[in-house]
Amino acid sequence: MSFYSILRAEYKLVYSEMIRRRSALIAMILYPYLFAGFTLFFGYTMGSAEIFSRRIGVDPVIFMITASYTVMSVLASVDDVLWRPLSDTFIGTLPYIIASPVSRLKLYLAIPIPRLTALIVMGFTSIIPVYTAYYGLEGLLSGLVVMGLITLGCLTMITLAMVIAGLVHTIGESWRVLNIVRPLVMILLGAYYPRIYMPLIGYVLSSLIPSSHIVEVIHNMLRGELSNFYILIALAIALAVLYAPGGNKSILYWEKKKVREGVKTD
Amino acid sequence: MGEAIVVEDLAKTYRVKKRIRFLKSHIEVVEALRGISFKVRYGEVVGLLGPNGAGKTTTIKILATLLLPDRGEALIDGYSVVKEPNKVRERIGIMLTVEKGFYGKLSGRENLEYFAALYGLEPRRARERINYLVKLLELDKLGADYKLFEEYSLGMKARLSLARALLRDAPVLLLDEPTLGLDPPSARKIRDLVKDLARKEGKAILYTTHNMFEAEMVCDRILLINKGTIVAEGTPEELKSRVPMLKVVNLVVRGNKKVRGLIADYNVKYEVKTEASDLHTIRVYVEKPEEILGDLLKKFVRNGYDIVSIRVEEPTLEDVFIYFSREA
Repeated sequence: MSFYSILRAEYKLVYSEMIRRRSALIAMILYPYLFAGFTLFFGYTMGSAEIFSRRIGVDPVIFMITASYTVMSVLASVDDVLWRPLSDTFIGTLPYIIASPVSRLKLYLAIPIPRLTALIVMGFTSIIPVYTAYYGLEGLLSGLVVMGLITLGCLTMITLAMVIAGLVHTIGESWRVLNIVRPLVMILLGAYYPRIYMPLIGYVLSSLIPSSHIVEVIHNMLRGELSNFYILIALAIALAVLYAPGGNKSILYWEKKKVREGVKTD
Repeated sequence: MGEAIVVEDLAKTYRVKKRIRFLKSHIEVVEALRGISFKVRYGEVVGLLGPNGAGKTTTIKILATLLLPDRGEALIDGYSVVKEPNKVRERIGIMLTVEKGFYGKLSGRENLEYFAALYGLEPRRARERINYLVKLLELDKLGADYKLFEEYSLGMKARLSLARALLRDAPVLLLDEPTLGLDPPSARKIRDLVKDLARKEGKAILYTTHNMFEAEMVCDRILLINKGTIVAEGTPEELKSRVPMLKVVNLVVRGNKKVRGLIADYNVKYEVKTEASDLHTIRVYVEKPEEILGDLLKKFVRNGYDIVSIRVEEPTLEDVFIYFSREA
């Protein structure tokens, strides 16, 4: 059973849904602008752009559009893994997936990639035009590098999402817990709120999230610093690899619990 | 032909939390299976026949590796459903609830392609198999290539569900009430196909239903299951012949009084169905109808009933089921 076949099937599933549900597609395109606009509006109402630039070292518009695009991409890949067991239960496909011999690690690694691809492409409608407008050709190149880094950031989140998914769904009433997990990941990622300003506990927890290191790389890059570039990237990848066995076990544990209780078939 | 499914002393108990008052609940223990044993050979369709709650779906779920039994053993193609679930999963095709289980925004073909990938079929083999199944189940004529699953009729959903069960060409098929709620042409199509799959392709098929007519039409052997116990087993003819000497007196009477009291004196097995509050259909199982018939009719007339019709019949599979259930 090749990863390629599973990935191909997931692409078909996700893109058929996406194309046939136009509202979702439009929302996906508009999201970074809406979120960045919303945060900028509040930012300008309550604070000063200059102070922000001085403190963070990046223009607020660039920072916010990058943060919105990062959060949207990372959360989408996390969400796909976290919510998939629930949506399969609701649709009624779960018994057929559990009763299939497919490798759970391959399946869950493949699940977020199709939507992630679409989101990364959305970078051409969100960060690239803004970067180019601000910095010209150099902005275009920086935008492409940022898109690449975010892709890596999203991929490194999959195994951690698997660990969380298995645990959360084992507990039961998982949708309630997921609604708490989501904003937590959003904050700890450090995209809107750089983790160097977080309290120690926040900083420690944030360091356990693989893509938070990539976010730090992006922030450094926007500030014109390239210190620890490779170390942070290596750290993100190492964490993702470290979480992989746990992720697989977590999903299998949840499935075993389901089988002990009896997978609902009606 | 060897044995494809071997079930030994399979038992399952559910603990269900029942709410009895606000903030007060108690645990109800439901014995879904009480140690059932049976075998299914290759090339054979075996019907698991019983009313709702008899334990049919629990049996199918255990065999499909979707539920763990409390006790006993079940082997599929020689592999244990408890110890080697992944081996079992490679050898079964399952059809559970007909209405659900597919992605609504995908067409029938796209859904089959998705599950083919999960089942590990190589893309070329998957394409060939899907083309074959779409033709076999006449899904192509119904628009499976372009129509989205959410737009399908129940009959079409059932056909697609059977196509998925057949995707891997697995030697064992577990079909849970595959014709439930279907229109007669779709139900017939599925029944005919199931028979062919066993006869021509040598598949072992476990087929649950509560439809007696269907069981008689499709199954080579029938397991009558009630309250988690197999109460009888055999071919439809064998089962009928095991209700020896019995005839069924089918009596329809009209009247407002209680019917059961009048029959209870005779110490016979009987079934009463009441329609429109005063029309009662009574089926009495007796060895020699002539011994009680005259007396019974007199009793009904004396008690103010109108006799609408009376017939003496050979027992049907339904009668056999009622007989064995009562015995149990």
